This record gives sequence, C-alpha cells and structure tokens, in this order.
Amino acid sequence: MSTTTSVVERLRARIGVAAPPTEATVEAGHLKRFAEAIGDDNPRWKTEVPPTFLVALAPVSLHLAEAEEYGKGWLNGGNRFEYFEAVKVGDRVTATGKVADVYEKTGGSGSLLFIIFETDYVNQHGRTVARLRGTAIRR
Amino acid sequence: MGRRSGDERNCRQDLPELVKHPTTRQLVQYAGAQGDFYEIHYDQGYAQSVALPGVILHGLLKAAFLGQLVTDWLGDRGDLKSFEVSYRGIDVPGRPYRCRGRVTKVDGDQVELEVWGEDPTASARRLGMRLWR
Repeated sequence: MSTTTSVVERLRARIGVAAPPTEATVEAGHLKRFAEAIGDDNPRWKTEVPPTFLVALAPVSLHLAEAEEYGKGWLNGGNRFEYFEAVKVGDRVTATGKVADVYEKTGGSGSLLFIIFETDYVNQHGRTVARLRGTAIRR
Repeated sequence: MGRRSGDERNCRQDLPELVKHPTTRQLVQYAGAQGDFYEIHYDQGYAQSVALPGVILHGLLKAAFLGQLVTDWLGDRGDLKSFEVSYRGIDVPGRPYRCRGRVTKVDGDQVELEVWGEDPTASARRLGMRLWR
C-alpha cells in the first residue's frame, strides 16, 4: 500500500465524525480588528458580524495534520456559507465541524486530494445561525 | 413597445464596482484577525518553496471583499441568505482587486447575484452568491 493511499484511507475513516465543539463569544474588539483587516468600514459591523466573520470566530480543529503527508501545500478550493440568523456582539457561538467527504482526483498535472468539511454554528439560544461548507485541497 | 417586467429590469442591474487594494501588510492583518497563519500569506521564501510566485491573498479575504460588494449594495433592504465562492486562481498583493457583480435572477422577494473578482491582468474569476430579501 502506498503512503498516499493510506493517507486517503485514514482520512476517509473520519467522514461524518464530528470534531470536538469549539465555543467563542463575539467580541467587539475582535470584530473591529476583523473589519479593519478586510478594509470594510461599514458601521453595521460594530455590532453585527460581516458575511465571512464566523471562520475567524471559532476555528474548528479537524486534526487534518496527517493530510500534510500528501502533496506539498494546501489550497482553499471554495466556501459556501448559509445564514439563518444574524450574529451580534455578545453572542456565544458553538462551532461543530466534521469531514463530509474525502477524495482524490488525478489530472494532467498530478494528483490532488480534496477534503470537504462542514461546520454548524449554534448560538447561546440553541439556534443554528449559520452553516459553512469548505473545500480544502492538498496539491 | 412592450412593457418590461420588473424581473427583466432587475436582471440588467449591475452592482456598483468595489476596488480593493490589498497589500502584504493587509495579508498580515488578515492572518491575525482570522487566525490563519499559513505561511503562504506572509512569508515570501516559504511561498516560493511551494511553487507559488510569492505570497498570495487568502481565499477568504477575497470572499470578504465580495461580501462587502454585496452588503454595500444591499444596505438595509434585505439579508444575505447564502454565499458561495470558488477560488479559481491565485491573486497577489500590490495589484488592485476589482469586485463586480450583477443580478441574475429575481423570484418574488428572492434575489440571486453573480459576483466575481478581477485583477488587471487576469480574466474574470467568477464566484457565485445568492441572497434573498
């Protein structure tokens, strides 16, 4: 069995297994630094989070370090956000992530490993406020 | 001359363009704010060692630029319901990043947009976005 095959198999064994939840409170200072970093001075972001903020709030640890045995670098393939409720300063958000799919694609320029992950964000009232699906690529 | 429906009128609507001017400094700022310290976004030597031309923009920073394009346009007229982006190329700091978009579909109070980023040398890279009022 080749090394890359076993990496793919080990990662595939994780499909559907939820990572430990991470919790974080939306802090005004963090929100301000984030809005400054993206260069968006909309006053709305003093109290409410902009569309991509949740990735910065509660990074989910999916323990994908072993995927780094594959290829030599990570690429972000894409993201899909769904929003159900606004997230505001002071909200306490719990993020729970899981690996949704793992597959390999071989093309003219070599092989790529695709890891699809999904994260649910739930607020302090127990309501799901957003869902994120992402594609991480090893090349 | 026939009357044009609201849907057709809206489908012709372009969003006001937003031009961002990302710098390496901004990438460092963003790395800190997001907590993404992958070296390809601030370490030139590391970026080149993994066959990149140099440091590159975070995909999620480009997504944030496009988010701003949409939320600036939307104002308080509605809420963003769904937002999907695919990163189809790499972008480097020091070049303007032009955010553009248009309304592609109106169905009742739901609106669908297509938004994309362009740099001065590359062809358009399309990213998708849907929103409903």
